[in-house]
Order: sequence, then structure tokens, then C-alpha cells
Amino acid sequence: MNEKTPFIRIAKREDASKKRIWTVRIAAFAVAILLGMIIFVIAGANPIKAYGVMITSSLGKKSGIKQVVKNAIPLLGTGLALAPCFRMRYWNIGAEGQITMGAMAATYFALNWYSKMPSAVLLLVMGIASLVFGGLWSAIPAIFKSRWGTNETLFTLMMNYIAIGIVAWLQGGPWEGKPGSQIIPMFDKKAVLPKLFGVHCGWVIVLLLVAFMFVYMNYTKHGYEIAVLGESENTARYAGMNILKVTVRTAALSGAICGLVGFMTASGVNQTLQSGVAGGVGFTAITVCWLAQLNPFAMVAISFLLAVLSKGASGLQTTLSIPASISDIITGIILLCMLGCEFFINYRLIFRDKQAKNGKEAA
Amino acid sequence: MKKVLAVLLAMAMVFALAACGGTTEPAAPSDDAETYKVGMVCIGDDNAAYDRNFYMAADAAKEALAAKGINIEWTYTYNHPEGDPVAVDCEELADAGCIAVFLNSYGQEPAMLTVAADYPDTVFVGMTNEGSKSDDLDNTVNTFPSIYEGRYLAGVAAGCKLQEMIDNGEITEAEAVIGYVGAYTYAEVLSGYTAFFLGAKSICPAATMLVEFIGSWGDPTLEAATAQDLIDRGAVIVSQHSDSTTPATTAQSNGVYHVGYNIGMSDVAPEASIISSRIDWTNYMVYVIETIVGGGKVDADYMGHGLADGDVKLTELNTAIAAEGTQEAIDAAAAKIKSGELNVFDTSTFTVNGAELTSSLVDMDCDFAPDEGFDAVFDGVYHESYFKSAPAFAERIDGITLVNESY
Repeated sequence: MNEKTPFIRIAKREDASKKRIWTVRIAAFAVAILLGMIIFVIAGANPIKAYGVMITSSLGKKSGIKQVVKNAIPLLGTGLALAPCFRMRYWNIGAEGQITMGAMAATYFALNWYSKMPSAVLLLVMGIASLVFGGLWSAIPAIFKSRWGTNETLFTLMMNYIAIGIVAWLQGGPWEGKPGSQIIPMFDKKAVLPKLFGVHCGWVIVLLLVAFMFVYMNYTKHGYEIAVLGESENTARYAGMNILKVTVRTAALSGAICGLVGFMTASGVNQTLQSGVAGGVGFTAITVCWLAQLNPFAMVAISFLLAVLSKGASGLQTTLSIPASISDIITGIILLCMLGCEFFINYRLIFRDKQAKNGKEAA
Repeated sequence: MKKVLAVLLAMAMVFALAACGGTTEPAAPSDDAETYKVGMVCIGDDNAAYDRNFYMAADAAKEALAAKGINIEWTYTYNHPEGDPVAVDCEELADAGCIAVFLNSYGQEPAMLTVAADYPDTVFVGMTNEGSKSDDLDNTVNTFPSIYEGRYLAGVAAGCKLQEMIDNGEITEAEAVIGYVGAYTYAEVLSGYTAFFLGAKSICPAATMLVEFIGSWGDPTLEAATAQDLIDRGAVIVSQHSDSTTPATTAQSNGVYHVGYNIGMSDVAPEASIISSRIDWTNYMVYVIETIVGGGKVDADYMGHGLADGDVKLTELNTAIAAEGTQEAIDAAAAKIKSGELNVFDTSTFTVNGAELTSSLVDMDCDFAPDEGFDAVFDGVYHESYFKSAPAFAERIDGITLVNESY
């Protein structure tokens, strides 16, 4: 080998076996845990104790598991919502706003219609309203993209701030409860999602969505169109697909499911509406989506893992007085390692000297 | 591949250790059954003057209770103003076995109410809230000490300074302007700045006031910018209903004076900050915890505790910059408030739209509408915190100009 060969070269790996893939993933997780330990030590905590607390506080007791499930619901729901968009290579970064708009639509009926109908009908109306509003909110950037070629990443991102701003205005304006409080009154009990096994029944809805999304993406004409369009717009056009229709329809479906997540959070968890209703879920769900490689069943596991981490973080704060920001750092490290390890699955590093040796051997 | 496996195995062992370490952990505290756990959910952290005032009280309450033979241990959660994180904190603290969970901000109440029913053995204490009487839960309580009394006295200190500046010829009567950084157009804030203004006017009749709202309980940057704006509009004394100390530092860098809230701010602004009024939560915390430990029932709304009980206080006067005779003026007014001779909202001392206030109904059932039969104005006085402990005075009196009303 001559001197011009770089010290490290990157080559695409074609032959990754299942065993190797999982070895790399588990190793990455282990590395993340080890790095986390260093962070705990820097923060002045016993890392073994800290991890213990994270596990026992989230999975060691009934109330912990309930909260984990509660935290996982919006992550899973939004992850599922984003999957068809990402399959289509349409970068919907607007889940946050779509959740917020869905929650807003549901809240309108919760505040104004609760005395007019029985609870089940009211919840149904709230759910439908959230689907419609979330869907419409998401359709706007999709129409702009397919009509005028606007950048959907920026467009959907900006729509988030508008949605959050609208709710913030409602909070301090027309829907405000006590004057000056900036708080929307709490929902009537009729507008609150009932609990099933201690957690609001949204978990049943998202599990149904998992099955729906799996079938939709893999076994329907829509799913096929999405996949083709994602691979190549020209192919899709050549095959006679209506690009505008497929794009808008998929984005609207995605937004509608996000809206439904907003409804479940406002009604099942907060029992009121606030501008922070999405709480970053719209962004975290992007990670869920990619970690699961758009596989709905894998998303169940990933959202559960993230929920365990976030519950463990609050456990750390109350049990060991470790600031929540430290737990955020550790969660970030775990996610980075998990996403980063995909690089080592798909590519390999070739070092210069090793290469040289191999070359000699071959000769 | 072998290397990877070796690393993996090592990790697995470490992780297994971690899991074992965890399971043995929770046993420790139960050895000492005498120590009661108490939790507090905080809107900010110790960077905020507002929250620091609560930590001071929590420490003092711990000491006071220890003297009575009750040992407590505090657990705090930080930086959660509203929404699900607050509910999670409440669950977490109740799960940890806290006999009481204190919440230190108004906006946390809705989230707390979503989970309070699940933990009947824990008392949830909404400090500065008012919904506990009208919610249907037995384990929620709240209070709001009579801070308007402290605000009035802080206003007296500001009035002394203004009058001194007028008398020395530093400013004209028309220039005796107070700038007030307010959070929201919310009764708690309105009641506070009105009491402050009436205190100032009792000493300096020429005083006028500008109030500018920021739309946040605490935002150091915005508070500083608003204080600057008020100074630019002619304020020579700045006061605040907001959580940080930046109005004090802004006043100092502009060479004007300042009266604070929550904690003494003369350490950060020795040349500007004259005095602060504050709620001292110690007595209330002691009362709640002692009552629970003794098996009693905590009042849903703990009413009528203020200056006379030591629940409302002033911080030490910054004598280096305060006007001469300030301490005497404060002491005289305080004595009159305690004896009942002086009423802060005496309707003969202010007008609303040019006329004396003769009626003002209070909202009692938290439906955000004034309720018939609860008229706080009688005997020539607006009786603040008379029907409920939370501030209710929301009239806009003459002499105070609102720069903005958008919040």
C-alpha cells in the first residue's frame, strides 16, 4: 500500500449478519451505560446505586410501571404517526404543533360541550376533532410542498411555533380561567379519558394503532405508494401515481394521529390544555421512529425504553437528589450511542496498517 | 468478535451489579421510623429568589419541628411550573412515602389535582393556591399569607425615599414615579402593587406609579429589560412582583432605588435595594406537618395569617441608602396594622375612576366570576383575604398607570 492511503477508510458493509447487528447494538448500549457511569461519578453519585434507582423506581413498583406506560403512550403514538411520512422521505418535524392543534380542538369541545352530551359521545367528538385539526395542520405544508416545492422540514418546524403560540394566546385570552392566571380551567370529569388498569385508556388506542400502521405500511396500496414515492419521485410519477394526492394524504394521516395523541394527553393526562401540551414529544418521537427503523413493533420497545429512562430520571431526582438535567445527559448519551451504532452496522473502518498487512498476506 | 463479546460480558456484570445495588437500596430509610418524609415541588430552582425563599422556610421548619421532637427530611423537585411533570413529581414524592407534598406555585394546582385522589394518605399543599375548599378532595389544602401587609410596609420605605428626594430637591413632585415590574394582571399581583402604592402614598402623597407586566412569574432577562423600560419612562424607584433579582441590579446600574420581594436583595444591589417584603412560610409548614403527624386535620384554607403572626416579614433595612426615619415609619405603620388601627385598603385613601369604592364582590367557588353575598367592602375598608386567604383585590385605582395590559 502506498503512502496516499488514508489512515482510516470507511467502506460500506454488505454482509452484516443478524448476529453481528445485535452484537453491535448491545455493545453500543453497554458503552452508553458505561459513559453514563462516568457522568454519575462526575455528578457525585454512586453510579451503581444510581442505575439501580432508575430501574427500581420505574419498573420495581406498580405506580412506576403505570407512569412508564403513561409516558410511553404519546411517544409511541407520535412515532407511529411519523413513520409513513419518513418512509415517503417527507420530513415531518411538525408533530409538536400537530399534537398541540389536536389537543386544542379537543379542548374546545371539552370546555364548551360537556353539558350537552354524555361522556362517551363527548370523548368521541373530542377525538374526531383532534384528528381533523391535526390532519389539517399537517396538510398545509404538504400542499405547499407538492404544489410549489417548499421545504417541508422548515415549513413543518415553523408551524410548531404558530400552533404553540395560538394555544398560549388562548391560555391568556379567550379560554383563560381566573383573570390573569394564564390557566385554562380543568376539564369536566366527562371530558377525561377513563382509566384502564390504572392508566388512561390511550394505551389501548396506541396499541391498536401499532397493528393498523403495520398493516397500512406493508399490506395496502397506500403503503406501497408511500414506499415507491419515498424511493423515487420519478418512478412514482412514471407509475401513474398522483404525487400531490399521496403526499397530502400521508401528511394528513400523520398529522391526524399526532392530533389524536394531543387529545389523549390533554384529556387523559393534563385534564386541561396548556401551550406545553406536546412537551417535546414531537421531537423525541423522531428518535423513536429512527431507532425502530420505522418498524411499528420495534417502536413499542423503543418508546417503552425511553419512558423507563424518563421515569428513572425523576426517580433519581427524588431519591438521590441528582438533578434531572444529569439524567437528560445520560438519556442523550444512550440515544446517541444507539443511533450511532447503526454506522458500525452499515459501514466498516479499514485501518492503514491492517490493510498493509492484509495486502502482504494476500501476496 | 471475541473482543466485543468480552467487553459485553464485562458490561453485563457491571449492569447486574447495578441492579443488585438497587434492590437493597430502599431498605435504609425505614430503619429510622421517626423521620417523616416531606416533599416540595418547585417552580424554579435556587437561582430564583422566589424559590430560595421557600428553601429558607423549609430549613427553618425542619429546625422548628426538630425542637418539638418531630424529625423531617425534605425532598425537592425543580423547575416544573405546570403540566404533567408536576403530576409526575407529586406521584413520585407520594410514592416515596412523603406525608405531605408542598407545591410552591399557583399554576401547579391543576396537575396536582389529576393525581391527588390516588394518594389519600398524602396531603397536597398548594401554597398560594385557593382551590382546595371547592375541590371535592380531602387531602388538598392551601393558604396564602396576608402579604399585602408586607407590601404596604415596603411601600412605606419607598415613600420615605421619594419624599426625601423631593425634600432635598433632587426630584420634583411630578418626578416621584415608582416603576413596578408585574408578572400577570392577576389578583395576587394587583393586590400586591396596590398595597405597595398605598404604603408609598401614605408617606409621599405626590407619588405615582407605572406598572408593566411581563407575562411570566420569573424571567431574569425580561425582568431586567422591563425594569430598564420603567426607568427610561422616569421611574426613580423600582419594585417588582417577579421571581428574580435582576430588577434590583438594573436599578443599581441606572443609579435609581429599588424595593424587592421574596428575599433581601441588598446583597446583589447594595446601592439600590432598600428593603424587601416576603412571606415567611415557616409557620405554615410547621403547622401542616405537625397537624398531620399529630393525626389532626389540616385546614383546607388556612386564613388570616400575616404580619402579626410572623408569616409576613420585611427583610433587614439597608440603612446605608434608606431615607432617614424609614425604620421608625415602618415600625409605626406595622404596629398600627397589627393592632387593627390601620387598614391597608382603607377606601378613604384611594379612588377608582375618581369615586370611592363602595362594593367589590369576591369569587369564592373558583368559577372566575364574582359571587353575590361576598362583598369585601364594608365599614369603609376593602377587607383583603377576608373570605379566603388568597388575594382578591383586583380593582384598578387612580394614580397607577398600567403601561401594558397584555398579560
